[in-house]
Amino acid sequence: MQGIEATVKDYILGEFLPGTAAGELTESTPLITGGILDSIATLKLVAFLEERFGIEIQAHEAGVDHLNTIGYIARLVRSKQ
Amino acid sequence: MVLSRMLRERLLSRLLVVIGAGVVVVAVALDTLLPGATPGFGRGQLLLALAGGAVMASGGVLPRLLVGARLVPSAEELRSLGRFAALAIQLGLLVLVIREFRIESPAFYKTVVPLAACGFVVHHLLPTPFRLPFFLVLSLAGIGLVFGWTNGAWLLAVGLVLVGLCHAPAPFAVRVGLVAVVGVSLALMRSGRLPAPWSAAIWPILGSMFMFRLIVYLYDLRHTREPVNVFRSLSYFFLLPNVAFPLFPVVDFATFRRTYYDEDPYRIYQRGVRWMLLGTTHLVLYRFVYQYVTLSPGDIATVGDLARYLVANFLLYLRVSGQFHMIAGLLHLFGFRLPETHRFFFLASSFSDFWRRINIYWKDFMMKVFQYPSYFQLRRLGDTTALVLSTLLVFCATWILHSYQWFWLLGSVRLAWTDVLFWSLLAVLLVANSLYEVRHGRTRTLGKRVWSTRQSAVFALRTVGTFAVICVLWSLWTSPSLTEWFVLWGGVRMNAPELLAIVAVLAAAVLATTAAVRAGAAALGPAIARQPFGRTAGLTAGVLVAFYVVGRPELSSQFGPHVREVLRDVRLTELNKRDAALLRRGYYESIVGANPLNSRLWEIYAQRPRQDLTDQERITRPTGDFLMKELPPLEGVMFFGAPFRTNRWGMRDRDYERLPPPATYRVALLGSSYTMGWGVGDGQSFEWLLEDRLNGESRGGAARYEILNFAVGDYTPLQQVMLLERKVFTFRPNTVFLVAGPAESAETIRRLALIVRLGVHVPYDFLRETVQAAGVDSATPLLEAERRLKPHETRILAWAYGRIAALSRERGITPVWMYLPMPGDATSLEEVTALTALAHGAGFRMADLSDVYAGHDLATLQVAAWDRHPNAAGHRLIADRLYAALRLEPDAFGVPLPVRAVPGDP
Repeated sequence: MQGIEATVKDYILGEFLPGTAAGELTESTPLITGGILDSIATLKLVAFLEERFGIEIQAHEAGVDHLNTIGYIARLVRSKQ
Repeated sequence: MVLSRMLRERLLSRLLVVIGAGVVVVAVALDTLLPGATPGFGRGQLLLALAGGAVMASGGVLPRLLVGARLVPSAEELRSLGRFAALAIQLGLLVLVIREFRIESPAFYKTVVPLAACGFVVHHLLPTPFRLPFFLVLSLAGIGLVFGWTNGAWLLAVGLVLVGLCHAPAPFAVRVGLVAVVGVSLALMRSGRLPAPWSAAIWPILGSMFMFRLIVYLYDLRHTREPVNVFRSLSYFFLLPNVAFPLFPVVDFATFRRTYYDEDPYRIYQRGVRWMLLGTTHLVLYRFVYQYVTLSPGDIATVGDLARYLVANFLLYLRVSGQFHMIAGLLHLFGFRLPETHRFFFLASSFSDFWRRINIYWKDFMMKVFQYPSYFQLRRLGDTTALVLSTLLVFCATWILHSYQWFWLLGSVRLAWTDVLFWSLLAVLLVANSLYEVRHGRTRTLGKRVWSTRQSAVFALRTVGTFAVICVLWSLWTSPSLTEWFVLWGGVRMNAPELLAIVAVLAAAVLATTAAVRAGAAALGPAIARQPFGRTAGLTAGVLVAFYVVGRPELSSQFGPHVREVLRDVRLTELNKRDAALLRRGYYESIVGANPLNSRLWEIYAQRPRQDLTDQERITRPTGDFLMKELPPLEGVMFFGAPFRTNRWGMRDRDYERLPPPATYRVALLGSSYTMGWGVGDGQSFEWLLEDRLNGESRGGAARYEILNFAVGDYTPLQQVMLLERKVFTFRPNTVFLVAGPAESAETIRRLALIVRLGVHVPYDFLRETVQAAGVDSATPLLEAERRLKPHETRILAWAYGRIAALSRERGITPVWMYLPMPGDATSLEEVTALTALAHGAGFRMADLSDVYAGHDLATLQVAAWDRHPNAAGHRLIADRLYAALRLEPDAFGVPLPVRAVPGDP
């Protein structure tokens, strides 16, 4: 995994999936549709991404189209850097 | 050349499969498609279905023979063919089950489901680019078939204008403004302030298609760069099942677009069939709860009753979850792999969890359009403040949008304190829960979670606790007023055995949940979704066969009367006693006692033209005494589009002299609205028809017959006592017919409670003493008064029956009691038996017409969908049946019948 992906994965594992083996969470694991990210968790993740990568995420981007997998999240972050 | 041969083979193959599948579906739905056909799956239909199957099978062989290809298909082709066949079989069974159980409405089981089943086959066999246009055509055909082509064209035209405005070549804000202007114009039409050129019946569907989806669509147009696909956009609004379901999930446009065929098609279809089966199960369970578990607030006497009321009231939500499963499942058949709409919401373990599980599409809509935008705007105030404020905003918006939804469905805004309180309390609980989760986190896992006994037990306690609190909140939401909600809780008798039973049930629920959690039930949903295609298909087909067998009358006839009654009631869409009573009261009191979620009534009211409400006030005048109202003499109005005239004595009848002419046999008819001839023209009521028939047969004979109609809408046996004493006897009848119907006791009690509440003098000692003994006076709230009088209802009814019969006999008049329901009234065997025993004990002669409508399509015998009084055809049927009863036992009723003019005349 590349930098952004690894950072996001570490955050998700630490914050929302403590005790889960790293191998279980892949770049394509569904986060929102899979029930890992609910509304509160999504907002926490947004705050983390904005702070960690120095970007600004819009309200309409906080959904399945942009945050459902680590791959999508990394693509969103890259598009804003 | 090879390509051309392959193309010819594929085209021919698909053509044969389509034709064959079409024949199968027509065979399955033949009795619903042909007017007047007997429901059932006969030998002819079976042969036709087999012929269709043979044509389908030939699609796999014949084209290959013709083009000289090898006959043995590849393993992949065989697998696809097998899956397709399995789906077609399940869908065929589903059509049968949905039709057998008359799921939801004729528009659904007679039109939408057969159309979807035929459409599914064609749709799947079409090349991918043609599928979306085909789905749109199918959806529009559904609108035309359900509403007729003129109303359908209006609906389509309005929809095209709205969608067109979303894409107008103007800045986004201007487009939103234009949509709002059209929306306000439509709202003025919906409220009756502007005339609308289409039928009132299309408003709920028109509202349902556009009231929320336009908001989502505009939001996504604003924020997406995806190219517009006109077929997708129009399909999104005119979704095929919407035509049969005014209450529709708020489908998200981005999800609708994103999930279209994003997985193996056969798995999508299979999930769709499974969800439709799940929807059917929810809806059948709902009917059982609706008919057998619910209680009227007035029936709550003990803590056990209260617990049953609260749980049943919440369980009624099964109807919404059933409908939404059905809708989402049906859309899966056309490749729309939408997410689930509900997820084990009765098993929510916290208030946040409840919000995440119940009506998931609504939660997502609120998050997307209200919570996230407001949260992002408010973040400068701090994350926690932003979270709290945005959550409160979501609940405020939910409350307002529910009123907005109610307006489009019913044409009037619903503003109730119970609504405000329900959403406020839920908001507070959810905010508290969210803040807890922010601080302490929530346990999430990717795989199967391992639960310790302690964790399972805590989880189970939380689940049962959440369920109990939601039941209480739900009762608040569904109460007509705060006063009535408080009355629910007041005066409930504490009963030790019942309290113990409740505690035992709660403990059992905790233990069962604990065991289920330990056994991995939490992962049940995903586990089912992951099952191999063949296993899911086999299981689904097996359950469908079982459903079909249980639904068949051949099986139910093997059981006793009570089981037969249950099986009948879960196969029908009759109103339960409580809603039938509310509907009846709605006729006279202009009330709409319907809750958007817990009553079938709002669907009925949604179709009612507004002018009917005012018409009802014109046919009676207040008396200010125990009768409360009466028909004014010599009144003539148009009522339900037909003349409604009264004679000089204030009877809805032809003119009669005060005293009977010589050689005249006179019958006095006492009853309420349907006996009066509500909703039919002069000369169409059953008493009028019967009188004409008797006199026609007696022509040239010695006797004449006069049936005097003293019936007045909303009269109960208590009013009949007064009417009899004050008016009826002065006309010197030979026989008095008292017409009784369902809910006779409950309506009598309610009327008495209302009279006392209004401070009207009760002129009978027995009634005054009973009211006093029940602790009821004019200060007692109506619901509480009904509850207190309920233990006395049998005595009160027995008193009224006894007095009517005794007063009649004293004057040499034969008293006859006749049980006659309205078409569509839920007739309970138990109730008829009890009423019959009371009337018999009072000394009446008896006539039971409870089966008068048996074997007829009830919809064809009612004044309208929103008014279950018998129409002209219904009255003809009653007149014929009553005549046959009189002929069968001429002496029993004391009516000497004329000798038949034509021997053998029935």
